[in-house]
Amino acid sequence: MSSVLTAGLEAVRTAVPPERQRATEGYTVDGHAPRLALQPADRHEVASVLAAANEAGLAVVPQGARTALRLGAPLERYDITLDSRALDRVVAYEPEDLTMTVEAGVTLEALRARLGEHDQELPVDAPPGDEVTIGGLLATARPGAWRGHLPGQRDLVLGMTVALPDGTLTTSGGRVVKNVSGYDLHRMHTGALGALGVIVEASFKLAPRPASVRSVAIRCTQTAQAEAIAFDLWDRTLATRAISLLTPAAAESVGLTSMPHVLVEFGGSEAAVSRSLRDLHDAAALGHALGADEVEASMWALLRRLAAGDDVRGDVVLRLGVPPSDVTRVLDAAAAIDAPGVAAWAHLASGAVLVRADAIEPARVLELRALAVESGGFLQIEAAPAAVRSEVDPFGAGDLVLSAQLRAQFDPCLTINPGRWGRGL
Amino acid sequence: MLSPLTQIRVRFGRHEARSPLVADLEAALGREHVLSAPEDLAGYEYDATIERARPDAVAFPASSAEVSAVVRIARAHGVPVVPRGSGTGLAGGALAVQGGVLCVMTRMNRILEIDARNRLAVVEPGVINLHLQEAVAPLGLTYAPDPSSQRVCSLGGNVATNSGGPHTLVYGSTVNHILGVEVVLADGRVTFLGSRVPDAPGIDLRGLFVGSEGTLGVATKIVVRLVRVPEALRTMLAVFDGVEAASEAVSAVIRRGVIPVAMEMLDRPIIEAVQHQKDVGYPSDAGAVLLLEVEGLRESVEQDAAAVIEALEVSGARGIRVADSDEERAALWEGRKSAIGAIGAVAPNFYLLDGVVPRTKLPEVMRGVVELSERYGFNCGNVFHAGDGNLHPNIMFDELVPGASARVLELGGEIMRLCVDAGGSITGEHGIGLEKRSYMEWVFSPADLEAMGRVRLAFGGDELFNPCKILPTGRGCGQAHAAEIRRHLQTPGVYV
Repeated sequence: MSSVLTAGLEAVRTAVPPERQRATEGYTVDGHAPRLALQPADRHEVASVLAAANEAGLAVVPQGARTALRLGAPLERYDITLDSRALDRVVAYEPEDLTMTVEAGVTLEALRARLGEHDQELPVDAPPGDEVTIGGLLATARPGAWRGHLPGQRDLVLGMTVALPDGTLTTSGGRVVKNVSGYDLHRMHTGALGALGVIVEASFKLAPRPASVRSVAIRCTQTAQAEAIAFDLWDRTLATRAISLLTPAAAESVGLTSMPHVLVEFGGSEAAVSRSLRDLHDAAALGHALGADEVEASMWALLRRLAAGDDVRGDVVLRLGVPPSDVTRVLDAAAAIDAPGVAAWAHLASGAVLVRADAIEPARVLELRALAVESGGFLQIEAAPAAVRSEVDPFGAGDLVLSAQLRAQFDPCLTINPGRWGRGL
Repeated sequence: MLSPLTQIRVRFGRHEARSPLVADLEAALGREHVLSAPEDLAGYEYDATIERARPDAVAFPASSAEVSAVVRIARAHGVPVVPRGSGTGLAGGALAVQGGVLCVMTRMNRILEIDARNRLAVVEPGVINLHLQEAVAPLGLTYAPDPSSQRVCSLGGNVATNSGGPHTLVYGSTVNHILGVEVVLADGRVTFLGSRVPDAPGIDLRGLFVGSEGTLGVATKIVVRLVRVPEALRTMLAVFDGVEAASEAVSAVIRRGVIPVAMEMLDRPIIEAVQHQKDVGYPSDAGAVLLLEVEGLRESVEQDAAAVIEALEVSGARGIRVADSDEERAALWEGRKSAIGAIGAVAPNFYLLDGVVPRTKLPEVMRGVVELSERYGFNCGNVFHAGDGNLHPNIMFDELVPGASARVLELGGEIMRLCVDAGGSITGEHGIGLEKRSYMEWVFSPADLEAMGRVRLAFGGDELFNPCKILPTGRGCGQAHAAEIRRHLQTPGVYV
């Protein structure tokens, strides 16, 4: 190791107290271990780490629950782990205003527990589950089954504090539920995979927790039938939180029989949910469904877990976005793709079609992407082995010129997650 | 004497003849779609604020290719481009403060596509908000953001300012309803940000563009999300002795776990103004009225309405009216929707403010607004989105009284300061524009503002698009900014 690099690492190491240094073994990404792993305890320590790394030309990879490290192109460099989990404070909670401000390392689980005391919730159901940290939840902006019925992460963030690679701490938005002062940098950082700065704190708009939540699985003989029932339900203004279409393989992986299913979640007042259930049974009967049975909420948790992939098994998850009217066509095509262990499911209202497989040929990914693009949509690789992600652009959409210009403005030295958005980005 | 077309103007620090610019614009768009005579320009030197600024030329492009041409021409001539929709902005966002080309989008007013099955529509930026709502209503769909100016404001303007309205409480601001935007960038390139489907991959440039107040580019096509009209709706009007009791009622409703889709408040001066114009049935001795709306399933609407009524009663409502028909609902809303216009009938001028506070701070902040207005000697009426904590004080004055305008702006600044002190923001839905640039330093640090400036640089526009707006920086803006601070307030100190 060169003396310059050693000096740079030393400068980064001393940016946090010695007790905040961690063993590097637990932080491998795509098989590569960092040179240094640090767990800063406050925003200033985060900023100091970034500034020192930026100065020394070292690459920093922010991590929370480590559930989305196979999302994006493979890293080009990896020197320092910035573990956010010690940033675990609830900064402010105003139940009466339905707002909350938390640090980035707070887990969704901890946040839900706190909100539960006041019968409130943050209405997001991002994959893989509630172990995600708020920083990760925002940096990845992964949609769940509720999307299309409830707002997404971006729509719930009121403001954010971000540490820029040069060590500057910047804030945008605020803590009030309606605010148009200045550029919405918090929207830009949401889903940016840390490319424009490390999220250290965020404020959210909250919602009352529904008094009643019920889920039903409607069993069908074919996808087209499931589609018709799903559209019927979507067209009725019910207390719907999710309408998902499951191919037989997907149904089987969450414990249902190997048939096409419509999985529905209702949430709201007792009266609204009872009425919604009545309508659901009408719709199922009208659509000649084989049956409609109430299921446990844990079924959604299984589906969420599938949607983020399994890092140990090294499987593949693709997320396609197409207009709802094209969902079943794409779903059928995805289910029929030549890949081992393939299972596909979709969330109707947001047009998200998810495909998981034990492994996949890059050519198959490109075929599916072409199908989505033909519908005016897109395909993003949510998780895949590094080889697949280096051969196929994991995103394949967006104005790359503008994105590169933003990256150049906010992280000119590519200090954070170099390569995540593609070569040299 | 030089004709107006050959007047020498100073732009960006160098002399430039005006006529070649106009000639180039006319060559690109046709003579009839470019204005440059002083009497014509006078009609485009204003928006809905007190300020005035005259552009060098007004261009009316009809396509994204023509917008691109306008941008290239302006760039070649070294003059700015200021996008403008219907000119209803309340923050001076569409004022050509450094001259240049005012790019008016009113000819691009077609609804290009309504896709009911996928609940989206594709529109040109000049489409009027209400026209889209009316076009999709027969399909059982609606476009949710409904700013009070929806009869005249354009969707392009809504995108630029990230407009709100009474129903943002549940539906959120404009940005929540925009799936994608076609944009002409500073180099004339046409790009598309977002998708027809939510959650597109990549950095969320769409989310960054919405609300950028015309400083990053010109929107030429917009993909909007439509929502189903709920099966049931209940509108209620509650009468209170004062604003404080009504504000408390707002919190009491939320405390019951019910989020109405709208909670609008009108205080006594506004009630008087509304009733002066037309009797809409508001009691003349009311201190405040609260207009509430709940929607959803028939069953839950009944339940929610009952909970709301209970909360209102407990909070001291002395009368509650519930609309039983569409006509009655329209009648209850009429007063709210005509409020701003009604002020015009009782005061020669008024200055409409926009600030936000945490909802629970409403009573104390409203008290402060009343005290400040009294101290300055102005009548101030409040009509606002109480559920969001989004205030709209209207300071009534007569601009012919010497010094009145300056004092009104000063009072406006103090009210904004009050919002910031309460943990709020300087704008909830009108935008920063020109009006509030100097207040940005109250809520953001120099580093925050510098980060926002990086966005502008990344989009390559720098000062081409709508210079001097949002950020208190930029070439040639420093002097204007200093004057603004002097005029608005005696430097109030930096709030970060």
